[in-house]
Amino acid sequence: MNALACDEVTVTYGETVALREVSVAFDPGRIHAVVGQNGAGKTTFARVCAGIVRPTSGRLTIGDQPVPVGNVRASRACGVELVHQSFALPPSFTVAEALEFGSTRRTNLVYSRRTLETRWRTHLEALDVPARLGDRIRDLPVETQQGVEIARALVGDAKLLILDEPTAVLAPLAIEQLFARLRRLSASGVTVLVILHKIREVLAIAETVSVLRAGRLVEALVPRASLDPASLARAIVGSADAELPAIGAERTSADAEGTRNVALALSSVSTRAVAGGPGLANVSLAVACGEIVGIAGVEGNGQRTLVDALAARVPFAAGSLQLGGHDVTGVSLLERRGHGLRIIPFERNIEGLSLASALWQNWSARLLVIGRLLRLIDPPRLRATSRTVLERWGVRFGSVDQNAGTLSGGNAQKVVLAREIDDDASVIVAAQPTRGLDISAMAFVWRALREARDRGCGVIVISSDLDELFDISDRIVVFVSGRIVAEFRPPYDVRIVGEALTAAHA
Amino acid sequence: MSARLFPVARALAYVAIALVACAIVFQLAGYPSAGMFAAIVEGAFLAPHAIVHTIRWAMPLFVTALGVLVAFRCGYFNIGAQGQFYLGAIAAGLTADALHAGPPVLVIPLVLAAGIAGGALWALWPGLLRVLSGTDEVITTLMGNFIAILALAYVTSGPLKDGSGSGEVAAARPVADGLRLSTSSGVSLSILAIVIVVGGLMWLLVDRTAFGVLGSLAGRNPVMVVWQGARSGRIAIGAFLFSGALAGLAGALELLGPSGRLLSGFAPTLGFGAVLVALVSGLSVSAATVASVFFGGLAAASLYLPVIAGFPAAAIDIINAAITLVITARAWPSALRRRASASS
Amino acid sequence: MIAAIAAILQSATPLIYVALGGMIAARAGIWNLGLEGLMIAGACAAVVGTKQSGSAGVGVMCAIVVCVLGSALLWFAIEKLRAHPVIAGLGISGLGLGGTDLAIQAMYGNEGSVHAPRSLPQLGAAAGDFAGCSVLVVAMPFVVAALWVLLRRTRFGLQLSACGEHPFAARSVGIDPVRMRLVALAIGGVLCAFGGTELALGRLQIFSTGMTAGRGYMAFAAVVFGAMDPIGTAGAAAFFSLVEYLGIKGQLVFGNAAPPELVLSLPYIATVLGVWISSRLRGGAAALSELRDY
Repeated sequence: MNALACDEVTVTYGETVALREVSVAFDPGRIHAVVGQNGAGKTTFARVCAGIVRPTSGRLTIGDQPVPVGNVRASRACGVELVHQSFALPPSFTVAEALEFGSTRRTNLVYSRRTLETRWRTHLEALDVPARLGDRIRDLPVETQQGVEIARALVGDAKLLILDEPTAVLAPLAIEQLFARLRRLSASGVTVLVILHKIREVLAIAETVSVLRAGRLVEALVPRASLDPASLARAIVGSADAELPAIGAERTSADAEGTRNVALALSSVSTRAVAGGPGLANVSLAVACGEIVGIAGVEGNGQRTLVDALAARVPFAAGSLQLGGHDVTGVSLLERRGHGLRIIPFERNIEGLSLASALWQNWSARLLVIGRLLRLIDPPRLRATSRTVLERWGVRFGSVDQNAGTLSGGNAQKVVLAREIDDDASVIVAAQPTRGLDISAMAFVWRALREARDRGCGVIVISSDLDELFDISDRIVVFVSGRIVAEFRPPYDVRIVGEALTAAHA
Repeated sequence: MSARLFPVARALAYVAIALVACAIVFQLAGYPSAGMFAAIVEGAFLAPHAIVHTIRWAMPLFVTALGVLVAFRCGYFNIGAQGQFYLGAIAAGLTADALHAGPPVLVIPLVLAAGIAGGALWALWPGLLRVLSGTDEVITTLMGNFIAILALAYVTSGPLKDGSGSGEVAAARPVADGLRLSTSSGVSLSILAIVIVVGGLMWLLVDRTAFGVLGSLAGRNPVMVVWQGARSGRIAIGAFLFSGALAGLAGALELLGPSGRLLSGFAPTLGFGAVLVALVSGLSVSAATVASVFFGGLAAASLYLPVIAGFPAAAIDIINAAITLVITARAWPSALRRRASASS
Repeated sequence: MIAAIAAILQSATPLIYVALGGMIAARAGIWNLGLEGLMIAGACAAVVGTKQSGSAGVGVMCAIVVCVLGSALLWFAIEKLRAHPVIAGLGISGLGLGGTDLAIQAMYGNEGSVHAPRSLPQLGAAAGDFAGCSVLVVAMPFVVAALWVLLRRTRFGLQLSACGEHPFAARSVGIDPVRMRLVALAIGGVLCAFGGTELALGRLQIFSTGMTAGRGYMAFAAVVFGAMDPIGTAGAAAFFSLVEYLGIKGQLVFGNAAPPELVLSLPYIATVLGVWISSRLRGGAAALSELRDY
C-alpha cells in the first residue's frame, strides 16, 4: 500500500508548465525527500498533494484510495497535511486560535479562552513546542512559529506530513532539532515528505530521494544507500547545464588593503528594531572599492535592518555612514543614491519592480526620481535607451512596453540589475539577489556582481546560502542578532562559519 | 485582438451588459425600457439643441474627470470631486461678488484662479491626512463631499443670498454680466478654448512629465518608488492638489458659464459622474474626451427625461450606478473557475 | 440624563446595525462601501412592505430580502467579476439610492416620500424613559454581544477572520474564502436591513428619498475607527451619532449663534476625526490594502 501516489500529474498556469506528467508513489512510514532547484516545481507538487492546487490533469491516490484533486478537505480527511514554507498562520491569532481554526474535531460551538487553551495544551506539549497558548503568532520567533505550524498540521490524524522547504529559515542547530522531530514522527508511523534543495540536508535526513527538474520527475525514490552526491547534483541541475559555478572561482588578486579606497563605511552604527528583525548594535563595516563583502546569517538577524538603515528607511540612533568619503549619515536615500549607492532589494516583486508597469518605466525610475517632479521628459528616448540597455543585459522580452510581471524571475532580476548597476554606481548592496532563481540566472547575477567589483565598485552581498557566499565573497562577516560576531577570509571552512551563525543563539 | 484594444473592448462590453440589466430593471418597474432608451438618446443627441446640452455637460465632466484620473493614476482614490467642485464654485462666487465692479479682463482670471485654489485646498486636507497619518482618503474625501454640500447651502442662504429670489432652492446673487463666459446654454468659444487648453496641459502632465510617469509607477507599486528614492509625499500632495484644482476650475467655469449664480445643490451628480468618466476611459486623457461626451449625453438626457418624456430622472442615476458596478471588472464569470489557485 | 441616553440610543441604532454589517464583511476581507445603498434600500423595502401588507413584520422581511440580494450582487461583482471593491461598493450605493428613487416614483408617484401605516413594535409607557424604543433598539446590544461571541469565541468566527487576514491560511485548511465572504456579506445584509428598517420604521414611519444622507458611509468609517471589532465598531457608530445629537441639542440651546449647516456637518467632521485618530493609533492606510493570498 502506498501512502500517496500521483499519476501523470500536470499543472499549467497559462503558458508555463509547472509540473509535467509527474508519477510517483511514496511508500508509508518513511522519510522521503523531494529535491530540486528553485522553479523546479517542488512547492506546486507539495500543494497538489495537499489538495490546494488543482492539477490540469492527473490523478491522486492516498492510501490506495483515489482522492478528488484540488480538494483540501478530501486530502485532509485522508490524513495529508502540509507545512508551508511561509507559515499559514494569521499573525494576529493566538497559538490556541491558530490550532483551532483549521481543526475538524467535533467540539462545542462556543468556547471560552481558558477552554481553548486547555484543549490544545497537551497537543502542543506533546510536540515540544516552546510557546504559550496565549502568545500571538506575530510575537513568536521564527523557529517557534514553525513549531506551531507543524503542530497545526498535526492537529488532525495526520498520516502523511509534507513539509515545504522547512529549513530555509532555520539556523543549523534548529535544522538538527527539526530533523530529530521528523525522525520521531516517522518512528510513530507518520509518512514524511520533505521538500529540500540542499544536498547536505538531503543526505542528513532522507531515506529516499526524488528529483524534480523543470517540472519533470527525473529521479524517483532513490534509496539513501545508493545516493551519490555528485550524481545527485547533476540530476538536480541537469548535466547539460554548463553554467555550474566552479567552486572557488577566481577573485581579484589580494591587493594590499591599505591602498584601496573605502567605498562604504559604517562606523559604530546602532538602530532600533524593524519589522523584519532586531536593531543594529554597534555595527562597524568597511567595504573597499573592488571588494565583495558577504553578509552571512540566518534570516532575521539584522540583515533586513542593515539594508533599511542604508536605504535611510530607519534612522541611525548612533554611528555614521560614509560613502566614498562623504558623510551621509542623516541624508535621504535619494542623496545617497546620488553618491553612488545602489540597492538590489530583498523583495524583487514588491520593492524592486512594479509588476503592473512597463519595463521602460521600471528601468527609467532611477532617472525619473532625480530632479524636479514637474520637468518634461522624453518617453520615446527613454524607451529606446531602456531597450538598448536591457538587451545588453540579456533580458528576454518582446517590447519595453510590456509589464514587468510578464517576465520570469531570472529576467526580472536582470532588469533590476540593469537599472541598479549603472555607470555611476559605486556601492552595490545586493540583498538575497539569487533567491528564487534557477541556476543559470544565479550564475548571471554572480557574474554581474563580480564585474561590478572588478570595475571598482564596493559590493555587499547578503545571503542565507553559505555556499553562495563562499563562492563569491572576498570576505565574509557574520550577523547574529544585529551585531557582527565574526569575520572570515578565504579559504572558508563551512563548519567554523556555520558555528558562528549560531553563536549567540543559546 | 491586440493587447491594447482588449481593455477597451472589455469596458464597452461591460457597459453594454450594464445597460441591458438596466433595461430589464426599468421594464420590471413598469416603464417601457425601449421607450426609455429612445428618450435618452433623444435627450442626448437627437432633440433640438440636445447636442448643445450634451457638450455643455461634457465639458465640466471632462475637466473634473481629468483631475480624478490624475489622482487615480497615482494610486489615490480621491472621490471628493463633488466637494472640490463645490468649493471651487464657492471660492469663485465669493471672488466674483467681491470684485463685481472690476474690469472683466482682470477679474475673470482671478475668479478662475480662486476656483482652482478653492478646489485644490479642499483636496489638500484629505491629502495631508493621507501623507502625514496614513488616513485612507476614501472616507475623508467622501465626507468632504457632504460638508461641501452644506457649505454651499450656507453660502447661498447667508452671505451671498439673493434677496430677490423666491424659489425653493437657495440661490446667490447672480454674477455680474460682464464676467460671464457664456450664456445659460453653457457652450461658448471661451469655455471651449479653456477646456481644450486644460486637456492639453493634463495630457502633458500625465504623459510627458516625471510626475506623470513616477506617479503612474507609484500608483501601481508605492513601495518600489520609495526604494528608488522618490519622495512619495510630494507625489501624493501633487496628485491631490491637481485633482482638486481641476474640479475647482470646473466649478468656476460653471459659475461664470451656464449657471451664472451659485445654486444650492446644483449639478449634484457631477462628482461621481467625473469618477465614472475617469474609470470608463481607463484613466487615459484621450479616451476621457470620448467618455465625457457619452456621459454628458446621459446628463443632458436626465433633464430631458422627466420634463419632456415623463420618465423619472432616477433612471439615469441607475444607469450610471450599474456601469460603476461593473466597469472595474477584470474577468468574465465563466472563465473564473480557477483550476490552479496558488502559484509555486 | 436617562432620557438623553434613550434618545441617543434610538438615533444611533440604525447606524450601529449598518456598521456591524460592514464589520462582518470587513473581517472576511471585503470592504463594503455599498452600505449607503443597502441601508436606504432596506429602509425603502421596509416601508413599502409594511404599506403594502399592513404588517411591520412583512416590512422587515422585505428589507432583509432586498439587502441580502444587494449584498450578493456586490459579492458577485467583487469576487466573480474581480471588480475593485471601492468602486463596486460605490456602484451598489448608487444603485440603492437611484433604485429606491425609481421604485418610489413608479409605485407612488412624485411625492418623494412614502408613509407607512405602522411602525415597528415599541416599548410601552411602562418602560419610562425608554418608551417608544422599537424592538430593534432593544435587540441591538444583544446583537452586538452575539456578534462578539461569534467572532471571538467560535471556530466559525476564527475561520471568518482568517479569510480576511490570511486567505491562504484559510484555503490551506480547506476553507473557501470566496464562499465565506458571501456568507459574511449575507449576514451583513441582514444587519443593514435592520438598520434601514429602524431608520424608517423605528419611530418615524416614513421613507423619503436620500434619507440616509451619508450614514452608510459613516458606518463604513465606524468599522475603520472601531478596528473591525464588534464592540469597537458599535462604539464608534454610537460616537458619531452622539456628535449629531449634541449638535442638534446645542442648536436648540444656542439658537442661531451657529448656522444650521455647521451643526449638520458635525457628524461628518467627527467621522473624519475618527478615521484620522484611528490611523494615527494604528499606523493606517491598512484599510484597503492587499490581502495576503499566496
